[in-house]
Amino acid sequence: MIGLTNIVTSSQLASIAQNTTQSVALETTLKSIGRPGFILIDKDIDSNTKQYAAAKEFLYQATCLAVYMALIVPVFRKGGFKFAKEKIFKNTAGFENFANVKEYMHYRKLADNPSVKNRIQTLDKEILTDANKTLVREKYNDTLIKELHKETPDKFTDVKGAIELSNIIGSVLGLAIFAPQVSHAFIHPALRFLGLEEKKQPQQKDQQLDTTV
Amino acid sequence: MSINNIIKKTCKALGENNKPTYVVMAIATVKGICRPLFTMMDKTESPETKKYTALREGLTEAIAIPAYWGCGEMAGKLASKCFEDKHLASRAKTNLMFIGVCTAALFVIPALCSVAIKPIMDKLGLKAPEKKEDKNLDINSQAPQMTKTPILQNNKTALNYYSRAGMFNNNIYSGMKAGRI
Repeated sequence: MIGLTNIVTSSQLASIAQNTTQSVALETTLKSIGRPGFILIDKDIDSNTKQYAAAKEFLYQATCLAVYMALIVPVFRKGGFKFAKEKIFKNTAGFENFANVKEYMHYRKLADNPSVKNRIQTLDKEILTDANKTLVREKYNDTLIKELHKETPDKFTDVKGAIELSNIIGSVLGLAIFAPQVSHAFIHPALRFLGLEEKKQPQQKDQQLDTTV
Repeated sequence: MSINNIIKKTCKALGENNKPTYVVMAIATVKGICRPLFTMMDKTESPETKKYTALREGLTEAIAIPAYWGCGEMAGKLASKCFEDKHLASRAKTNLMFIGVCTAALFVIPALCSVAIKPIMDKLGLKAPEKKEDKNLDINSQAPQMTKTPILQNNKTALNYYSRAGMFNNNIYSGMKAGRI
């Protein structure tokens, strides 16, 4: 019971739930398990068809996920943030404190921590993963450090909203329009490779042409 | 209200509370419109197949939208009943909504689709188009070919002709062989 309560009130799970990219990726993974699973347990279909349909569904979801993570996420995340910063929220306070999405997400994670002491300790410890091994703190300006010292720091909801909106637009366009087209081109060669679909015979065309016999 | 203001308001609302149901419902809605459209535009399939597939895809997404919303909202409502602390309840609401959406994606939607789609399609009078060729039939491999027996000029036994005894009396060589040596 305590374990269940811990999961339900987990701050990490809440962070995933509030993050469009992570939640969509997790749901697509679940779909790639659930849908083929239900096809396989269907008793009305013969085993060959079940195998074929389940493999096709799995490959479709897996390709969608791969395309989404590799193309849509970086493009729309970066592009959306830049567009919001330079066009939509041009004269709005908050955006000038962050150079990119990564910087904002790091700040947000610290701001979500209820303890001021823990926030500052984490900030002082963390080192950037670059060659110079500089402290993360050096990337923070005075405004952000002042906010982190407050009991309830400003979470810059406009910035978060702009990131999430661009992620939602990217997810919709990517998963509903772009990824299915890519997966359509990939699925049939993959099924042929797995031996679940027969190769098109080059002779078939000739056989059709041969009408005189 | 200008488009800029609408976007700003949307961003503010999403920044304060980005419900896990928003994105999945948006994806399902666009999929429900675009996938049947793409299917209907396919020129390689027959009209019957296109109609059947497009309707099936549309129905799947039509089932998915209320399922996501229902599972997410119902799970979220449990939070206020289980937790009294306001901060914990708010976090639990987000988490439970997300768990509800995941459950919908993993179990509820596939189960609802497998139960509901077939009867709906039957009621609409649409049946799964039969495959042009049976998958179990091996149409590619060729039937065993008769090999030509080499005809040797000076060796009569190699010629492919009936023996005199069986020439007009085929029943010796045909029929069931049971009981014969």
